[in-house]
Amino acid sequence: MKEHQRLLLAAAAVIAAALFLLRNPGGGPQLVSVQRLSDYGDVCPPVEPIVYASSQEGGQTGDVTRAPTRTIRDTYPIYTAVAVDTNFDEVVLMDNNNWSLRVYNRLDNTAAGAEFTPPKRVIEGPETDIQFNNGLYIDPKNGDIYSVETDTGDKVVVFPRDANGNVKPARILATPHRGFSLAVDEEKQELYVGVQYPPEVAVYRKSASGKEKPLRSLKGESTRLSDVHGIAIDPKNKLLFVNNWGHVSDYRIAGTGRFEEPSIAVYPLGADGDTAPLRVIQGSRTQLNWAAQMAIDTDTGDIYVANDIGHSVLVFKGTDEGNVAPGRVIKGDRTGLLNPSGVFVDSKHKELWVSNFGNHSSVVYPLNANGNVRPLRTIRSAPAGKKSLKFGKVEAVVYDSKRDELLVPN
Amino acid sequence: MHGFAFDPIHDEIVVNSPLTQAVLVFRGGANGEETPLRVIQGPTTQIVGMGYAALETVSVDPQNSEIFLPVGTGAYGGLGNNQISGNYKEGVLVFDRMANGNVAPKRFLSGPDTQIRGVSHVAIDPVRNLLIVKSNGLLIFDRTANGNVKPLRIIRGPKAGNIGRGQFQIYPEKGLVIAPLGGGFGVWKVTDDGDVAPRWRIPVQQIVGGAPQNTGIALDPVHKELFVANGPLNRVFTFYFPEMFD
Repeated sequence: MKEHQRLLLAAAAVIAAALFLLRNPGGGPQLVSVQRLSDYGDVCPPVEPIVYASSQEGGQTGDVTRAPTRTIRDTYPIYTAVAVDTNFDEVVLMDNNNWSLRVYNRLDNTAAGAEFTPPKRVIEGPETDIQFNNGLYIDPKNGDIYSVETDTGDKVVVFPRDANGNVKPARILATPHRGFSLAVDEEKQELYVGVQYPPEVAVYRKSASGKEKPLRSLKGESTRLSDVHGIAIDPKNKLLFVNNWGHVSDYRIAGTGRFEEPSIAVYPLGADGDTAPLRVIQGSRTQLNWAAQMAIDTDTGDIYVANDIGHSVLVFKGTDEGNVAPGRVIKGDRTGLLNPSGVFVDSKHKELWVSNFGNHSSVVYPLNANGNVRPLRTIRSAPAGKKSLKFGKVEAVVYDSKRDELLVPN
Repeated sequence: MHGFAFDPIHDEIVVNSPLTQAVLVFRGGANGEETPLRVIQGPTTQIVGMGYAALETVSVDPQNSEIFLPVGTGAYGGLGNNQISGNYKEGVLVFDRMANGNVAPKRFLSGPDTQIRGVSHVAIDPVRNLLIVKSNGLLIFDRTANGNVKPLRIIRGPKAGNIGRGQFQIYPEKGLVIAPLGGGFGVWKVTDDGDVAPRWRIPVQQIVGGAPQNTGIALDPVHKELFVANGPLNRVFTFYFPEMFD
């Protein structure tokens, strides 16, 4: 080897060693740079690639730390439930998107030109333990706010009426996975939790906390419970109403799955264990379609159902049975309903409240409303016409290469 | 819903229904309340379970016209597998794509030799004729594996890292596996074997913040992009990643 060749080889070796040491002095995977995103809106504008560590055929790992070029996100609240504190004239909305409880004046009404109505108080933040909460209940005496988480938290959180900001709940009760709805028997001081699957209605002391066990649980094949969603209590007639989506299976036994028609099952209030319903509302005439929260007008016994996919509120008689049509249906382009998921009967003011998952709003009607009626008032939490992404914990994404579209399940 | 599939050849969407032990197939352009084209459901199907790690997704192999469905109890309710009484087996059911009704699977990959435990997601490499099962690492089988057979290879170990829950994808053109890893994703070769570190890592949580559950992933080779869904953040991110596709 000639001298200049040896020099070239030596120089090349030094450069290679220097590059190797610079790239990965520790010998392990190397994180070159991380840039945290600033706050961004619905669609993040493209950003320049930050850094790239190339593929390592030699067995080392390259870290790719570019910021995303785009982000699909809904920044506004999406409401899964509504309840009214009639003593303090406040309405509480359960925001499933930003993990918050928002408190408004009962008579708030967003003006047509307004961007949105700001809440009086917001309970939000990591201390609150609010996540993908759905069920909501307000204590009619002291205004305590109860809310149940469905998927990632599996708990009921209870806040005092005037809670505000990033505050810890006054108490927490661990509940079964997929708790969706709440109701309270004030006479017996019992808290009812509707659980989607395996389907059950668990009943606790109203003041239960921690890992306290339920007093009793309605569950089993005879109950005809199936993918439980809304529950409601009729204290006058001592009845429990439960709506079911009709998704049935025993997860431990192969091939037991089946689809049934959605239903509302009615039980004695003290029902326990594998108790058959007293009667069931079920069939094509009912219009039930992914029924969500329910409420009862205790004066008339009428049952109000937030009928999510039907974009409607269905009203049944408490005595209905079988394949019956609802006595009233609130539905249509004037109603402001879009994927309604929460409903509340304000007996004091004879008003019906509905929260919409589909359009960042809550609407209120006269209690006797029927048909394609305009709401009396609307609390809107996003600019008019802004559609909700309806994201409710997006765990998966699929790319449709034929249409250049993303499919996102909720 | 923790996963589903799109079949670009036959233009169909394949969805699992965990609570009814069913697979539903819709047309690719389905919109609103559409009736599925086909439903696989019933005792002959052997479909069982739901929970955190089983019957939470379904995969499709358009080239070979098959549907792959991971089944089991998924350690539901915190119980370990095989601790729940009942007549069920954990593994991967394979149906003909055109199966409809109460039909038997073509194959059932299941048994102790498979090392499939708490199975969640599967993917198919039609180029190399491989089935990859994410179950305590990445188990790599022949695509047509059936019964109690050993995997051809396993990517698992401290260098490979904690291959976590959620969707994963194959990019067959380059022979790559993209799987959840430590709040982000790692990229391996499907030919990797043993305790192999990923070729690349995309540390999504470090980049975007929030919770580590970046559980959804999809690929767009045309635009050289990678889509990531994060449940707790309720967002879908798009990352430009040309190196993986070039």
